[in-house]
Amino acid sequence: MRINVLFGGEAGQGPNILTQVLGRALVNQGYYVFFSRDYQSLIRGGHNFNVLTFSEEETHSNDSRMDIIVALDDNTEKLHEKELKKGGVLLKGNKGNMYYAGRLFKLLCLDFSLLEKELRELEKRYDENIIEAKKGYDEERQEVCKIIFRNKETPSFMNGNQGISEGAIKSGIDIYYAYPMTPATNVLSELAEKQIEKNILVLEIESEIAVINAAVGSSITGAKTMIGTSGGGFDLMTESLSLAGIAEVPLVIYLAQRPGPSTGVATYTGQGDLQMARYSGHGEFNRLVISPGDPKECEELTSQAFYFSQRFKIPAIIISDKHLAESFYTLAEKPNITFSEKSTLLKRYNSYETDEFGSATENAEIIKKNVEERIEKKKEIAEKAKKFSQCKIYGKKDSKNVVISWGSTKGAIVDAIKDLDIKFVQVLYIEPFPIEEMKKELEGTNIILVENNATGQLGDVIAEKTGMFIEDKNKVLRYDGRPFLADELREEIWGKLK
Amino acid sequence: MTLNSPIKPTWCPSCLNFQVLAAVKNVVQREINTGKKEEDFAIVAGIGCHAKIFDYINLNGINTLHGRVLPTCLGMKLGNPNLNVIGFSGDGDAYAEGMEHLIHAARYNADFKYFVHNNQVFALTVGQPTPTTEIGFKDKTNPLGVKTSPINPIALMLASGCGFVARVYADMKQIEHVFEEAMKYKGFAFIEILEPCIIFHNVNYKDKIYSLENENHDKTNLEQAMKKAQEFDYSTPTQETRIPMGIFYQKEKPMIEDMYPQLKILKEYKIGWKDIKR
Repeated sequence: MRINVLFGGEAGQGPNILTQVLGRALVNQGYYVFFSRDYQSLIRGGHNFNVLTFSEEETHSNDSRMDIIVALDDNTEKLHEKELKKGGVLLKGNKGNMYYAGRLFKLLCLDFSLLEKELRELEKRYDENIIEAKKGYDEERQEVCKIIFRNKETPSFMNGNQGISEGAIKSGIDIYYAYPMTPATNVLSELAEKQIEKNILVLEIESEIAVINAAVGSSITGAKTMIGTSGGGFDLMTESLSLAGIAEVPLVIYLAQRPGPSTGVATYTGQGDLQMARYSGHGEFNRLVISPGDPKECEELTSQAFYFSQRFKIPAIIISDKHLAESFYTLAEKPNITFSEKSTLLKRYNSYETDEFGSATENAEIIKKNVEERIEKKKEIAEKAKKFSQCKIYGKKDSKNVVISWGSTKGAIVDAIKDLDIKFVQVLYIEPFPIEEMKKELEGTNIILVENNATGQLGDVIAEKTGMFIEDKNKVLRYDGRPFLADELREEIWGKLK
Repeated sequence: MTLNSPIKPTWCPSCLNFQVLAAVKNVVQREINTGKKEEDFAIVAGIGCHAKIFDYINLNGINTLHGRVLPTCLGMKLGNPNLNVIGFSGDGDAYAEGMEHLIHAARYNADFKYFVHNNQVFALTVGQPTPTTEIGFKDKTNPLGVKTSPINPIALMLASGCGFVARVYADMKQIEHVFEEAMKYKGFAFIEILEPCIIFHNVNYKDKIYSLENENHDKTNLEQAMKKAQEFDYSTPTQETRIPMGIFYQKEKPMIEDMYPQLKILKEYKIGWKDIKR
């Protein structure tokens, strides 16, 4: 069973709350739930929709065809009717969102007490909500499927940004600075909400340039410091990224991608900034670039970013995207957090190449020595990275068909390749890149590249690092601001198998 | 530990930056003699001739990027509110590349001291005009002469709500006096040093300056301060020019370190985030 439910309406009509309520109830019944959000850059009106997919099996993506559509406005029906499966159910009308929550619970044979519990937890407008919900529940006569309680272990239900925030807290973060920018903003609000309870300083300051320079200032006093932004804000930070590189200042930078260039498509998803994360900032300096594929990996990789930045005094970039940052995933396993020492001391730091005293130097010998020390450190970082999962393998381990990707595409790929003759290689460490491991997994195989961008940037990294080129006909690229859908992706990959 | 650095200064002979260096070291040394430790201080400099001061004082800190002294100082104060942070910028640093931070520094009011070495020229790049260079100034990059009026940093800082606004001439005694007052002040202190560049912008201000203190200027009166700020507009001095020097305005305001309970705890226990075990 894999059921897709679409909730659509104007911003402000509450499709998000509706999705959350159903999602949490299903998770509590032991189902795997995944939902993504498609919303426009506006506050009221327009057209927003969420797609929730659930199953008894692990689920990390949506499909293109819907079993149920909840249309809170006429526009939703007009835009999405064609996605409804034959025999699917369309709930529409001009009632409030909780009325439809009632009908939905009935459609799935979920007991009304479960909805009541969710609404109680929601607190807001409980008295009105419960009356509305009961009306919907009583009026619904159909049945789509019968949800039966599966087990009582309650896994976590969270999005990527919550994973990043949790990971930062578990890594002992002291300070988080940011300037608001979708889709990184939720980390700022998540941490801000917990700042007193967890004793963290969370501050929004005047620009991304101020953010990264304040972070450098805090970090050199010994504070574990993290910052977050999206592509445009990251662009502004890059001069100071280079500063952190030469001065050897630990920094954890969360880069949540959205489609560019420039303002691009502000509230949609894409993976166009991989090469920027690798190469931004002038000069040659060390950095870590790591890419989680679900909220559990967000927690784990955030802790690894803190570890590497403190251990090697380098900037560590965690790269995600809107689809991962804002979609909700059901996670059965607990994350494996890496402990990091707080080991930075206040001394003499410099943006110039420096001598032993920490003063600017133009001495050729010292410059050469400093550069060579950085190159040596690069090797040490690469060696240490081998102790972590730099890539992960899924599917049929000995298959000659290999799908390779990074980041949020993991969800759709894992769901799409079920029962196919395919091995999926997910790359988590972009810098340092697991060259030997990659050669071992890819050599002599039919490589299929899947990326949410137009040029196949990971493919270029693979070519650069291993000398293996992926043919254009073997690239599955999506660059319309939307995430991959499992059923469509399965068809595309199917066509490229050997 | 001594404040003296092993690095030999590369400023031009008789550069007024030597006056600033001596004054800063004298004041910090007196603070150390009366109980503070070297480790309690941190210095931050930008990029330009002024920034070489970082190499000539043996204190911790960072010689950071052009224009980014202020957010770096803010970050250091928020990282450890017990540090005595002193920032140094040039006029390019403070009024061109880093202008946005100047206004916000007044708004945050973190407790650190900030010197702007204003020589009205980009000296280390051999003599281009800055936002405080007078109309008509010519160099290779501006053969037609500067067309725009200089900004008035004193008026700007007063308008931005800065609680300590001062200007001094690049003379050791003047700098020491105002710096000592700034150290006593709790909050963000803005001190501009009017410091002619002997190579690229050698204007004689010495005969034009007068002390606000000697003329009984009421430094608690914002309106008066604003009037005094308007007396000199950074143009080439004429026969009538009079340049007020000293503290234009001084008033304590809430500091950002005292607005967050997390930071108040650090201050109370005299620790930084580095001492918080988790």
